[in-house]
Amino acid sequence: MATRFERQLEELHVQMITMGSLCEKAISASSSAIQGEGISFAKEVFETDREIDEKEREIETLCMRLLLHQQPVAGDLREISAALKMISDMERIGDQAADIADLSQFVDVKMVDSSVDITEMAENTVKMVTESVDAFVKADLNLCRKVINDDDLVDRAFNEIKDRLADLIIDKKIDPKAGLDLLMTAKYFERIGDHAVNIAEWVEYSITGEHRNNEHHVGIVE
Amino acid sequence: MTKKIFKSIISVSVIVFALGLAFVMGILYRYFGDEIKEELRKEASYLAVGVEKNGTEYLESVTFDDSRITYIAEDGTVLYDSEANSDSMDNHGHREEVVEAAKQGSGEAYRISTTLSERTTYYALRLTDGTILRVSSTQYSVTALMYRLLRPLILILLLMFALSAFFASKIAKWIVKPMNELDLDHPEENQAYEEVAPLLSKIHKQNRQIKNQIDTAMQQQAEFSIITENMQEGLLVIDKYTMILSGNSSVWKLFQTKEKTGESVYSLDRSEEFRRVVENVLEGRHGETVLRSPAGHVRLIANPVIHEEETVGAVLLFVNVTEEIERESLRREFSANVSHELKTPLTSISGFAEIIQDGFVKPEDIKMFAGRIYKEAQRLIQLVQDVIKISQLDEKEIPYEWQNEDLYCLVKDVLDHLAEVAKKQDVQMDIEGDRTILRTVRPILEEALYNLCDNAIKYNKPGGNVRIVLSEDPYEIRIAVKDTGIGIPQEDQGRVFERFYRVDKSHSKEIGGTGLGLSIVKHGVTFLGGSLELESEEGKGTKITMVFPKDTKES
Repeated sequence: MATRFERQLEELHVQMITMGSLCEKAISASSSAIQGEGISFAKEVFETDREIDEKEREIETLCMRLLLHQQPVAGDLREISAALKMISDMERIGDQAADIADLSQFVDVKMVDSSVDITEMAENTVKMVTESVDAFVKADLNLCRKVINDDDLVDRAFNEIKDRLADLIIDKKIDPKAGLDLLMTAKYFERIGDHAVNIAEWVEYSITGEHRNNEHHVGIVE
Repeated sequence: MTKKIFKSIISVSVIVFALGLAFVMGILYRYFGDEIKEELRKEASYLAVGVEKNGTEYLESVTFDDSRITYIAEDGTVLYDSEANSDSMDNHGHREEVVEAAKQGSGEAYRISTTLSERTTYYALRLTDGTILRVSSTQYSVTALMYRLLRPLILILLLMFALSAFFASKIAKWIVKPMNELDLDHPEENQAYEEVAPLLSKIHKQNRQIKNQIDTAMQQQAEFSIITENMQEGLLVIDKYTMILSGNSSVWKLFQTKEKTGESVYSLDRSEEFRRVVENVLEGRHGETVLRSPAGHVRLIANPVIHEEETVGAVLLFVNVTEEIERESLRREFSANVSHELKTPLTSISGFAEIIQDGFVKPEDIKMFAGRIYKEAQRLIQLVQDVIKISQLDEKEIPYEWQNEDLYCLVKDVLDHLAEVAKKQDVQMDIEGDRTILRTVRPILEEALYNLCDNAIKYNKPGGNVRIVLSEDPYEIRIAVKDTGIGIPQEDQGRVFERFYRVDKSHSKEIGGTGLGLSIVKHGVTFLGGSLELESEEGKGTKITMVFPKDTKES
């Protein structure tokens, strides 16, 4: 029979999976929203974002209870502290998905030519989030590393989109306001990618006990 | 047990030692008392002789070491005492021993000193003249003796205690050893104490019982796992915390994952529908949904496990319904297509008929309209026939006979039938290959080949050609139909054998046909146990090959 502590750890795990899947839902819905698939997706994102916030508080309370009542050590302590860090990244993903959904009222990727490929960037980001949650669920180190490496793709895509949009605005081929909105959208996706990397790093930490604190920081784009 | 034996031995030995000591002390004391009495008596009798002869002088002449001599006159006055001045002593006539001696000739008494440390034994002897000679000796009392012996006694006691502890522990171990060495798996074979024999036989009985129960349980387990392992459906048992208690191999295959027993069921699928169904089922409500898994569409059927009016877990059944769902969508498409295909000619027929009915048609045109109506009706009949053919092939209820056929003749017949059409389209036809014998059902193969060649001609360019190649190797026979026609675009190649699928979406009547031709080919070839290969390049031509394995039997 599992002890109360083990039971609570399992509960934490289940809650984390749930929160992860909410994040996936939020970002894929926001990705659909900017592809002009209607206001219903944006609404779904806002609702999911609220759920994510609730889940974050719930998990936070659970973690605190575990820390205070059970005084975990070694791997268990690592898992709980990693969970505490991961939920704040997940919460940020939810917020940024909501921001994208907000912008989606003004943005339609179809209004620019295919050289500004936000759709692909969005899909890559969605994939990164899915994979980082998968990495957590399966405790899969290889998947963690894949997510961390995939971030370069998203970063590169952001830079390309930025340059391309600048050109379009200079050539007056696009309304500058819409261009900036598109840029913001791309930036949000890029940030979500960074958060996915953070999650992957914390998963890596909870498995190996080592955290790479070097080049990958939130929001740094070269 | 060792402890208990050890304690018992120690306490028994201590008690025995203490009791023994007490007894020995008592006996010895009495023995020495008697001895002293005897000595006193002897001394008294020796002295009596002297005193009778010489009176007090004798006593004064003799020195006494350990005994005290008192000479008492008949009236009790002390005449002599060896240790005290006789004048100062009081009358001794009432002393117990003196009284006794005066009466009976001799008397004795004990008196214990006030400090209890000494005991004095008196012996009095009446002499012939009535005087009394008393001899007394003082020894230590038992208490004093005990007190004096206390130290050596404690020493001995301690020594005894240590010794008995040592031996007790050895003995206890020695007694328990055979018990520890009992082989409980084979209790009957032990050579242990007979007192434990009933226990052993009981253990033996219980061992047998347990073994039987385990065997039964194992057998049930084995039966259960054989059943679940051979199920196509995935089966999961989860507890109320969503942890997986057990699952069969199908479920892991379905989710393409390693075994996940002991993990949360959400690690298999964390989609919202799945979570909702699991949450509901753990609240005691049956649930069903269709999920997407790596292996395709999966129907999930969730049933709560209720024990004593409380949901303690759930049984989840996963059924792969990919094929079902695909077939369902094909069927939907098929009925939509059939209705469409039927409607088009019927609309024309009804339109022509209406015009004629309303009298808008000049009598000389009626023939032309009737011709159109006839043509559309023919098309309808052809379509219905094709649909019937396909459903017959589908249901495998065609009562055709399997016979050895010469494929060369068969191909030739087909080409003869199509010669006129080919001529109209300006297409050349030829056969490559020799007499080849295949056991098959002629009408079906003929139909399939006819459709293939018909397509090859219809979708050809003027001046193109159609070539049928027969080839044979030790394992299979291949009939290839090659044309130099318009070809099939890459993206459509997977679907051309579907019913009513047309590369040209406009369902144009220009070329005609029902859209069922290739579908009939596919169903026919499948019915005959063969397979189809398609190679095509847009604008250059198409090669469709029917492959039949040589050992085709009646299926």
